[in-house]
Amino acid sequence: MKFRIYGDWIITLCILMLTIFGLFFLYSASDGNTDTVIKQLAFIILGFILFFLIAQLDPENFRRLAYFSLAASFLLMLITALFGPEINGAQRWIRIAGLSFQSSELFKISLPLTMATFLQFKKLPISMKDTFFCLFIIGISALTVVIQPDLGTSLLVALSGLFVLFLAGLSWSFIGVTCGLLIIASPFIWNNLLRPFQKERILTLFNPESDPFGSGWNIIQSRIAIGSGGISGKGYGEGSQTHFNFLPETETDFIFAVAAEEFGFIGVLIILSLFLILSLRTLYFALNARDRFCRLVVGGLLLTFLFNLLVNISMVIGLIPVVGMPLPFLSKGGSSMITLFILFGIIMSIGTHKTLMQR
Amino acid sequence: MQFEERQKERNSFSNRALVSFIIFTVLFLAVLGRIFYLQITTNETYLTAAESNRTYTVPVQSLRGKILDRNGNVLVGNKATFDLITIPAKIENLDAFLANIAEFLPISDKDLETYKKLFNSKAIYNRELVLLKDLTQAQIASFEVRSFRFPGAFVGKRYRRISEYPELFSHALGYTSRASATIASLPGIPSRNWRDAEFVYASGLISGQLGLEKIYDDSLSGSYGKKIYEIDARGRLYNLIKFEDGAPGEDLYTSLDLLAQQAAHEAIDGKRGAVVAIHLPTGSLNVLYSSPSFSINDFANGIDQQSFDAIIQDTNKPLFNRALKGRYPPASSIKPAIALYGLNANLTSWERTIEDPGFFILPEDGRVYRGWREGGHGSVDLTKAIVQSSNTYFFDLAYQSDINQLTTHLGNMGFGKSLCIDCFDEDPGLLPTPEWKYAQYNRGWFTGDTVNMGVGQGYILATPIQLAYYASLLANKGTARLPHFGSEPSPEIAAIETSNFNWSKLHKALELVVEGPSGTARRLSELKPFKVAAKTGTAELVSLDSKEAYAEIRSDVLQRDHAIIIAFGPIPNPEYAVSVVIENGESGGLVAGPVAVEVLKKLIEK
Repeated sequence: MKFRIYGDWIITLCILMLTIFGLFFLYSASDGNTDTVIKQLAFIILGFILFFLIAQLDPENFRRLAYFSLAASFLLMLITALFGPEINGAQRWIRIAGLSFQSSELFKISLPLTMATFLQFKKLPISMKDTFFCLFIIGISALTVVIQPDLGTSLLVALSGLFVLFLAGLSWSFIGVTCGLLIIASPFIWNNLLRPFQKERILTLFNPESDPFGSGWNIIQSRIAIGSGGISGKGYGEGSQTHFNFLPETETDFIFAVAAEEFGFIGVLIILSLFLILSLRTLYFALNARDRFCRLVVGGLLLTFLFNLLVNISMVIGLIPVVGMPLPFLSKGGSSMITLFILFGIIMSIGTHKTLMQR
Repeated sequence: MQFEERQKERNSFSNRALVSFIIFTVLFLAVLGRIFYLQITTNETYLTAAESNRTYTVPVQSLRGKILDRNGNVLVGNKATFDLITIPAKIENLDAFLANIAEFLPISDKDLETYKKLFNSKAIYNRELVLLKDLTQAQIASFEVRSFRFPGAFVGKRYRRISEYPELFSHALGYTSRASATIASLPGIPSRNWRDAEFVYASGLISGQLGLEKIYDDSLSGSYGKKIYEIDARGRLYNLIKFEDGAPGEDLYTSLDLLAQQAAHEAIDGKRGAVVAIHLPTGSLNVLYSSPSFSINDFANGIDQQSFDAIIQDTNKPLFNRALKGRYPPASSIKPAIALYGLNANLTSWERTIEDPGFFILPEDGRVYRGWREGGHGSVDLTKAIVQSSNTYFFDLAYQSDINQLTTHLGNMGFGKSLCIDCFDEDPGLLPTPEWKYAQYNRGWFTGDTVNMGVGQGYILATPIQLAYYASLLANKGTARLPHFGSEPSPEIAAIETSNFNWSKLHKALELVVEGPSGTARRLSELKPFKVAAKTGTAELVSLDSKEAYAEIRSDVLQRDHAIIIAFGPIPNPEYAVSVVIENGESGGLVAGPVAVEVLKKLIEK
C-alpha cells in the first residue's frame, strides 16, 4: 500500500501565516515579553503537530469517537466543578502536570461531532422529537459551561451544535416560531435573566462616553487605537494605545486592535483576507465532503468559526457589547489554540479523505 | 436513504451553507466598512485622541518678577535655595533609604511622616517628592559626596519668595502663597494637570495674595511654560518629550521709598498705627506702613501653625492693614476742610471773630459741646481757631452749615470714598449723611450731629490713606492726584475751588500749627531743617464731659484718644503730604507729629 500524506496547502498556509502574524502582534502587545511569545510558539507547534496527525485519520474515526467525546466532555466539566481552581471568581480550568486546560473547549469538538453523528441518517425535515432531543443535548452542554461562568464559550458551544442542527435541515417553521418567541420574550430576558453588568455592557455600547473611565473605557480606547492606525498604521511596536496601556487585554481579546493600530487598514485587510481564504476553502470542503456526516461537521465548524471571528472583531470595533471571546489563531491562549488546530485537523481530514462517489 | 432523498438533502445542505456563508460575508463587509470609517474617514479625530492620551502636559511656573522701590532697591525677590528631592519610583527600600539619609542629614519627625504618607502614590505615578527643604551649603556638600549611594535622590534648585525687609512692606506688598486650584486654564493644559505642575518654587505654584503681589499678579507671574511628558493609562510618567519655556514675570517698579518706610517703621516704634505719604506732583505713594506688621517671608514660604496662631491671636492685629482699612474719626484734622466750606458758603471770613468760652451750647436743646482747653481760647478768628484748634469756633461754623452741602464738600475732598488706583481692598471709610443715618439707626439727623462733624467727631470715619489724600489736596490748593504705587502722575482731580487769598491764609495757618509759638504741633518745629504745615487731631473714642472723666478712662489704654496728624512740606513749595495715625496715642502733635516729621525728612532730604 502506498503511503499518503493527507494535507491541504491552502488551509495550512493560511493558518501558518495567521499564527506567525499572531506571534508578532503578541510580541508587541506584551511589550517584548519573549517568555509569553515562546510559550505561545510552543502551543502553536504542538497545535500543528496535532493538526497534521488528525488530518491523517479517516473521518470514520471521528464518527466513532463522537458520543464518547461528548461523554468525556461532561466528565471533564464535572472534574472541573469539583477540583478546578477558582480564578477571578470562575472555575474553568483543569490542571494536569503543571499545564492548565480550559475544559469547556472540548465541547466545541464533541458537540458538533455528536450532532452530526446523531442527525446523519435523519430524514428531511428533522422531526420534532429529534429536534427537541438535539436542543436538549445542546442546552445542557451550554448550561454546564455557562454556570462556570463563561458566557462567551457557552455561546460558541451552543452555536456549534445549533449550526449543525440548522444545516442538517431544521424546519424553517420551527426556526420562524422560535425567533418570534425570542422577540416576544426579549423584554422578559432583559429584565429577569441578564445580570446588571451585562445590561451595563449593552447600554455602554450605545453611549460609551457616559462613563469614559469606567464601563466605556474599553470601547473608547479600542476605537481610538483602531481609528488612529490610519491606512498603514503607526508602525510595529509604535502603537501608543497598546504600549501605554490604554488598550485593555491587548494579548487576548483585543489583539485585533493592536494589529489595527500598528499596521492600519492594510494590515486589517491582509488578516481578513487570510480568514476569507481559509473560510472559502473550508466551505469548498463542506460542499464537496464525501457524506452527510462530513458535510455537517465541516459546515457546522465553519459557521461557528465565522461567528467567533465576527463577534471578536465586532466587539473590538465597538459594534457589539464586550464578550470574552478570543480572535482565532491570533489571541494568546493555549486551550483555544489547540482546540482550533484540532478542529481544522478534522476539517482537513474530511477535506482530503475522499471516496469514489459522493454520498 | 433513497438516491432522490440524498440529492434533496445535499441541495438543502448546500443552500443553507451558502446562504449562511453569504450572510456572514455581508456582516463582515459591514465590519470592514466600519473599520474603514474609523481608520480612513475619521482617522484625524482618533489620531488626536491617541495623542492626547499619550501625552501629558504640565505647567511650569516662570520666575516671578521682583518688586522694587523707586530707587531700585529690591523689596521682594526670588532666592535660589536647594532642596533634597527624591524620585520614589527609584527607591526600592524606603526605610533603608531614610535611615541612610538620616545618618548625615537630620529629618524631623513631622517631615518624615508627611514624606512617608505621600511616598507610595508618588512612586506609582513616577513623580518627584521633596524630602528636605532649604539645605545649607554644608548639608549640600555632605549629600553630594555620598550621592552615588542615592540614585533616587538629588539636590534640586527651588526658589523662595524672599524679602530682605520682611516686615517693612507687608501691607503694601502683600505676599505670595500656594496658588489655589482655581488657576485659569491654559490652552492645551486641562485643569486636572495642574496638580502635577513642575515646581519652580519650593512652596509649589504661587500666586499673589493681597497687596501689590495680588493686584499685579498677572504681570509679575509672566506666563507659564509647558513640559510635555509621555504617559501611560495609569498616569505614570515616562519621558520628557518637550519643554516650552514661559515668559518670566515682569519686575514691578513702585513708588515706595525704602528709607522713608524705614523711618516710619522706626518712628512708630511698634505702636499701633499707620503712616501714608504721597508725592504731590504724581500722587505716588512713597510710604504705606501699618504697624505692627508681620513677616511676608513666613507667609510666602510656609508658616508653622504655632506662629500663625500667634499672629492671628495677637490683640494688636498685625495682619490688619490700618493704612488702607483702619477707620478713625479725623477729629481736628478735618478743621481746614470745614474752614474751606465756611469760607465758600460765606458763613465765615478770615476777619470774623467769636468768643470761645471753652464750650458751645446748642441753641435747640441746650446741650453743651466742649473744647479741649478748659476756659477756652478767648477771642478767636479763623487763623487762631486752626492754629490752636478751637472747637467752639468750628462747632459754631458747623452749626450754621447745611449738612447736605457739607457732606458733598467733604466727599469732594475724598472722605467716604476709595481713592487708591492699585491698592488691595481699600476701605472707603464713612461719610455720614442724613439718609445714611436714617437707614442705619432709623433716626433723623440732628443739628448736634452736624456740630460734632465740625470737629471730625461723631459718625465720620476716615482711613489714613484718605487723610493723606486730603493733606495732598490742601497742599496742592484744591487739586489732588489719586494715590497709586506707580511713578507716573495719576489723573488730577480738581476738588475744591476757592480764592488764592483763602489758600494762602489757610496755608499760613497750617504752617503756624507747627512753626507758630502757640500751634498745637509747635514742638515739631525744632526737629527739622525745613518748614512744615500740619493739622493735628485727637480723636475721642469716648464722649466725655470733663478732663476728670478722661483721667478715669485713661487707665484703659484702648480707650485713650487716637493721635492724628496730617502734614505737608517743605513750605513754601510742598512736595510731599503725609498722614499719621497712632491708635490710643493721645496727642496728635506730640505722638503722631514726630513720626510725620521723620518721614518727611527722609523724603525731602533724599
